[in-house]
Amino acid sequence: MSKICIVEDDQAIRGELEALLRNSGYETESLTDFEHSLQLLSESAADLFLMDINIPYLNGEELLRKLRSTRETPVIMLTSRTSETDEVLAMSYGADDYITKPYNPTILLLRISAILKRASNAPAALSYRGLQVNPAKGSLSRNGDEIVLTKNEMIIFQLMLDNQGRIVTRDDLMTALWDNDEFVNDNALTVNISRLRAKLADFGCEDAIETRKKQGYILK
Amino acid sequence: MKLSDFLRDRIVSISAAAVGLALLLLFMYTYRVPSELLGAAVILFLITLTVAELWEFFRRRSFYDKLTSQLEQLDQKYLITEMLDEPQFLDGRIFKSVMEEVNKSMCDNVAEFRRTDADFREFIEMWVHEVKLPVASLQLMAHNHRDEFGEKAQDQLRRIDSYTDQVLYYVRSENAEKDYLITEVSLKKIFSNTAMRNREDLLMRGAELSAHDLGYSVMTDGKWLEYMLGQLIANSIKYAHEDRTLTIEVWAEKNGSETMLHFRDNGIGIPASDIHDVFRKSFTGENGRSRSKSTGMGLYIVKSLCQRLGHKVEVSSVQGEWTEFIFTFADNELMNVV
Repeated sequence: MSKICIVEDDQAIRGELEALLRNSGYETESLTDFEHSLQLLSESAADLFLMDINIPYLNGEELLRKLRSTRETPVIMLTSRTSETDEVLAMSYGADDYITKPYNPTILLLRISAILKRASNAPAALSYRGLQVNPAKGSLSRNGDEIVLTKNEMIIFQLMLDNQGRIVTRDDLMTALWDNDEFVNDNALTVNISRLRAKLADFGCEDAIETRKKQGYILK
Repeated sequence: MKLSDFLRDRIVSISAAAVGLALLLLFMYTYRVPSELLGAAVILFLITLTVAELWEFFRRRSFYDKLTSQLEQLDQKYLITEMLDEPQFLDGRIFKSVMEEVNKSMCDNVAEFRRTDADFREFIEMWVHEVKLPVASLQLMAHNHRDEFGEKAQDQLRRIDSYTDQVLYYVRSENAEKDYLITEVSLKKIFSNTAMRNREDLLMRGAELSAHDLGYSVMTDGKWLEYMLGQLIANSIKYAHEDRTLTIEVWAEKNGSETMLHFRDNGIGIPASDIHDVFRKSFTGENGRSRSKSTGMGLYIVKSLCQRLGHKVEVSSVQGEWTEFIFTFADNELMNVV
């Protein structure tokens, strides 16, 4: 389980971020003593830092720059500023990504999972009930049998697989699709899901995707 | 300054001199002064009078002609007092010192307003950034408690967010300060960010988005461009045709040294009588009146932001059929050198 360290001085946002991340299966820790931020972060065991730009004592940019001289842990900058300058600076100091407040929580989660995957280097061999998942090829295979998924189906399947056993809402799926420039509408999403179901059923996983009324879907 | 105007202005003094001369002649005549002497007196009088008036005329003309020609050339008319030579006549000197005084007081007044304006703007910027914090935490709360209430709250939060953005960009579009950052940005990235921000509203309307040929980079401020595209999307949703699915098509093309971004929807269009005014401040037009929510600010802000960034924005439309906006970005030669 990945551990995410939240560096944010607004107490309300910090609390909600913790809840959001824990609900999505991450461990969290929060920095509260900003006076010793650099030292505490250097010693932290986190796999990823979520860092606000406007924090007391050392601001986010400086903190990031100093942190980068000692460790390479991925950092996502959270910024409330609406000017491009801070983001360009943040990136030049070595942030892996940035998100502007008020942020879309689903996008934040997508970014986190993308960056953690990239950081863990060895692409964990994805599999589901004995099926080999090849995101790059966009296919599922078992014992030489292969089924090709469309780009949309792959995006949907991957998001469900990342959240296996948890409810994934239609809104989450939409966000992931739109984030990949697939501007699908409601009907198209329904069609994509039923095609994905049919393809999984071909491999004998008939009940793989369960519909939860008014909530979303669960990959079992 | 024309001689005739000058003479007309001097009519009282000249008439007085003429009356004086006539009385003098009458007086001399009754005392039987020889007519040669009379003639000489008249000529001498006329010569001195003419010389005096001409001298008066020329020194005034040299001052006022210079004044008017310099005023014409000046971009900032109020700087004229700095350019004037000291006039050689009394009323000119009084006039100049009054002008200087008036000008100084006006400059102080303008400076005062500029300061208040800058303070106010700074306050608005700060306020917008502050208010984004509670909005951000409310959005997270609504997301963490997903139910019917949470979803409704998210809709309303998006509205608050877009209204606060409008304030921010309005302040920026009105201000002369350089607070944008021109970098090379990808149109594809900009459009997908914009689409994502407006996703819920587009989906609610059942809109179809088609984006193609966006593989170009342009020199602009990415945030500002995202905001402008967001305004266009909001308008497309607001002025959608009720009888058909809203379709928005976005594409780019390269035309010599320019890149053009097209944004076209199949909404109700803009009446031909209104199309030249849509970028005007507070203009609502026929569409704005029939659909109550128009403030007339959206497109005005788009146009001002474009002007500040040096882009061109044009609109064309067929009422009842479609509306198309075209942004034109000039290539930056520096970009190719680097």
